[in-house]
Amino acid sequence: MKTNELRFHIASEFDVKLAVLQAGKFASAIDSNETVVQKIMTTVSELAQNIVKYAGVGHIHVRKICRSDIVVIEIIAEDTGPGIRNIELAMGDNFSSGGTLGLGLPGVKRLMDEFHIESNAKDGTSVTAVKWIHDK
Amino acid sequence: MNKIVNTSNITGLEDASYLLSRYEITEKDISNIKKYGKIIVKRLDEYVVHFYEWMKNQPEYTEFFSNDKMLISVQNRQIEYWQEFFAGEINNDYFEQRRLVGETHARINLSLDSYLAGANKSMTILMEDLYDNSLSAKAYAEAVASASKLVNLDSSIIVSTFAELTNRTIAEQSETLMKMSTPVAAIWQGILLLPVVGIIDSKRAQDIMNAMLIKIAETQSKVIILDISGVGMVDTAVANHLIKITKATKLMGCECTISGLSPAIAQTIVELGIDVDSIATTANLKDALESAFSSTGITIKASP
Repeated sequence: MKTNELRFHIASEFDVKLAVLQAGKFASAIDSNETVVQKIMTTVSELAQNIVKYAGVGHIHVRKICRSDIVVIEIIAEDTGPGIRNIELAMGDNFSSGGTLGLGLPGVKRLMDEFHIESNAKDGTSVTAVKWIHDK
Repeated sequence: MNKIVNTSNITGLEDASYLLSRYEITEKDISNIKKYGKIIVKRLDEYVVHFYEWMKNQPEYTEFFSNDKMLISVQNRQIEYWQEFFAGEINNDYFEQRRLVGETHARINLSLDSYLAGANKSMTILMEDLYDNSLSAKAYAEAVASASKLVNLDSSIIVSTFAELTNRTIAEQSETLMKMSTPVAAIWQGILLLPVVGIIDSKRAQDIMNAMLIKIAETQSKVIILDISGVGMVDTAVANHLIKITKATKLMGCECTISGLSPAIAQTIVELGIDVDSIATTANLKDALESAFSSTGITIKASP
């Protein structure tokens, strides 16, 4: 079965692992470059763990999109949690409100080619991260 | 819409009434079902005959029902199930019975598809094949509609119980696998090796650290090699764990070398911005072993 979209319900570390493994398989079917696959898996892992840690429950979508000039893999992480109080601070290196390295969000931004984050206390947090796949 | 009912744990009437309203089952539906029950309950023996005529031609029959004793017990439970269904007493016992059906299916590995196909066939037999035409057309149509709703509610309980048990089994299996996968081995005097395969989460990182520290204390080793060439993914949490593991072994007087960093993982760690100055790494196990030999003062020579 060939599918261009994956959707994961994320509520536990077990869900995170499942999403990481499946996103890895999905990415390697699109691009055999191991570095690209690794970056996709790491991004899914970071975003999914943030969901479990800060919001409790959320979703991850992984999609292949064919743009006019390029094929991309898009990862969207959404939750309706408490939101990020200060996005600028959260995007800076080594800031963590959860006692970890504090490199997750800024790290994901560096791993991917496009990065967009929206967060507020009312709607929760939505992160969109896109990786360009060069060989169409 | 976001209310999640844990059907495995229905204790209060609140959940029962929530499920009834979710499936739009009203007092009128219950009375329709009871009315139809008066016609059908006395004919449940016939239902069983019809059902197993159909079942005989289904692929799961030989696997699950070839044993006569088993068959009779299942048939009796099926009769009880429909008696309860048409009695229309939707309470905790009712839910508990449905939960048991889901549990049984999950335990013997009888698929959800075979349950749903069976429920579908049962409805055809009960509502069409055995119907005696004693109701008015309107009353009959209402009875069919009401019974369908209740069958859907039953299915929802059975499906969620089934899924819950299946998920639990998967979680237990993966936990068992993880427990088996922290084999710290002394490969030389003073040198330990732990190959890690799969995905590292915080629970597993903790297990790895424990296993390493215990073995270091036992063997008084000076070098431990943690080979991660079988690790599928490294992120900031995994890197953080690796740093902590290295620090802890150092406190016990044992140098930790992390071997087997693939080019993809090396690039990812750099772009994540993790400071790895405090950990010793090598590209492969061979290099790690060579440096372990030299730091413990061992020289390996080919025999002349």
